[in-house]
Amino acid sequence: MAKTFAELKFPGRLIAVEGLDGSGKSTQVYLLKRWLELQGLRVYFSEWNSSELVKAATSKGKKRELLSPTTFSLIHATDFADRYERHLVPLLRAGYIVLCDRYIFTAYARDVVRGCPPEWVRGIYDFAALPDLTFFFKAELEVSLQRILDGRPQLKYFEAGMDLRLSSDPYESFRIFQGRILEQYLAMSTEFNFLVIDANQLIEAQQLVVRELISQRINLKDFKHKESYYAKRAPVVRNKLWNEEGPYE
Amino acid sequence: MERGRALRIKRQVEDRIVVPRPSHHRFYGHGIPGVDGEKVAGKLIVVEGADGSGRSTQIARLVEWLEGNGHATVQVGLKRSTLVSEELEQAKQGNILSRTTLSLFYATDFADQLENIILPALKAGFIVLADRYIYTLMARDMVRGMDEAWLKNVYGIALEPDAVFYLTVSPEELVQRNFAKNATLDYWESGMDLGFSRDMFDSFLQYQRAIGKVFQRLQASYGFTIIDGNGSVDDVSAEFKKRIAVVLAGRQHA
Repeated sequence: MAKTFAELKFPGRLIAVEGLDGSGKSTQVYLLKRWLELQGLRVYFSEWNSSELVKAATSKGKKRELLSPTTFSLIHATDFADRYERHLVPLLRAGYIVLCDRYIFTAYARDVVRGCPPEWVRGIYDFAALPDLTFFFKAELEVSLQRILDGRPQLKYFEAGMDLRLSSDPYESFRIFQGRILEQYLAMSTEFNFLVIDANQLIEAQQLVVRELISQRINLKDFKHKESYYAKRAPVVRNKLWNEEGPYE
Repeated sequence: MERGRALRIKRQVEDRIVVPRPSHHRFYGHGIPGVDGEKVAGKLIVVEGADGSGRSTQIARLVEWLEGNGHATVQVGLKRSTLVSEELEQAKQGNILSRTTLSLFYATDFADQLENIILPALKAGFIVLADRYIYTLMARDMVRGMDEAWLKNVYGIALEPDAVFYLTVSPEELVQRNFAKNATLDYWESGMDLGFSRDMFDSFLQYQRAIGKVFQRLQASYGFTIIDGNGSVDDVSAEFKKRIAVVLAGRQHA
């Protein structure tokens, strides 16, 4: 069984958020980041599928529908490895709180739904340590689906799981696909100590629980920037809420 | 045409063309989801060896010889996938990717070619000539300290070839050949990222020896056919043809 960063004696802590598309996890992790930043803590945020170089290949593969379950899995693992080796590990060594919008569990869930053997997928990611805390935003399937379908009616091919040939209707395919991913997440929940957040609640109510849980488990004072350094920097404000690109971009 | 002459011609052609027997192909691990290691007529032939070992020269000769004997061929090699070859080349130029990342990037490139070229070609009865395969990828990573079990899991997707030839050439001879060709040594083929030596010449020799050792170790699990590449192009080519003829005739080990 892999170890967490704390167990591996890293000075930093990694907090991951997981959940279906439309579960509201990106909003929650954004608010969490703001809360930590405004306290003057060392925080870094990393998103699934965002490493610059690998992203070019991934988006080409997706646009031209070149990806099979195997290459889909491997290219996302490449992206993850790049962020892990170049950003996450060095920052955790330097004592940062690293927030990850999606972590290895996203791959465990999706790749297995796509038909890759679980042992193979887990084997690939076994270079990665486990998060110190993993929040799972659990919303009713219908609620998540509605959020996505309301906001962005044009579903992308891989996002809707169209490569699995579940249905020729993208909406129906998306429903079935997300349902299967949810099953995978729920099956992992105990094994990986997910902190399950009821994502049907109001945004503020969820954030309250998240902040409480973190305060209980992480001694936040240890992660303060040195005053002199922090004073020179204006806080970076990014409104990620309303122009967010999906993880499949 | 008179009957006797027709028969004679048929026999002559049959002499030249060996119709390979379909054989069952297996994957090293679980393989590719949804793909069966079914009986296919095509053959997968892998040529491994360092830069300068004569791989491309020998493959070019083999293609000519195979086509002359009525076999259709397809060639694959590292970094040639539609999906990621450009990005992979960029990454190598910039030397910006870490080990696991580069390794997985190569695995993606390999998987893309396996699914889109190798497997369909074998199914269609082609002889697929692979200019390097997973063994080079594994050896490079192992020299860089990556875990063998991890690599074996990643490459559990790979199909077992019908034959794997490993062209061995002494590092000293490799240096000479590389200089004769390019007057320079390649950064990666010299293992410069490993910091063996700041002197590229030294680094090349050390790196190639280290790779050679790993290949010896991999030989135990994968059973390569070693071909001495120090000889003349013609001699090596003759050796290849002799052994590939055996593969085409349908016997397992060349």
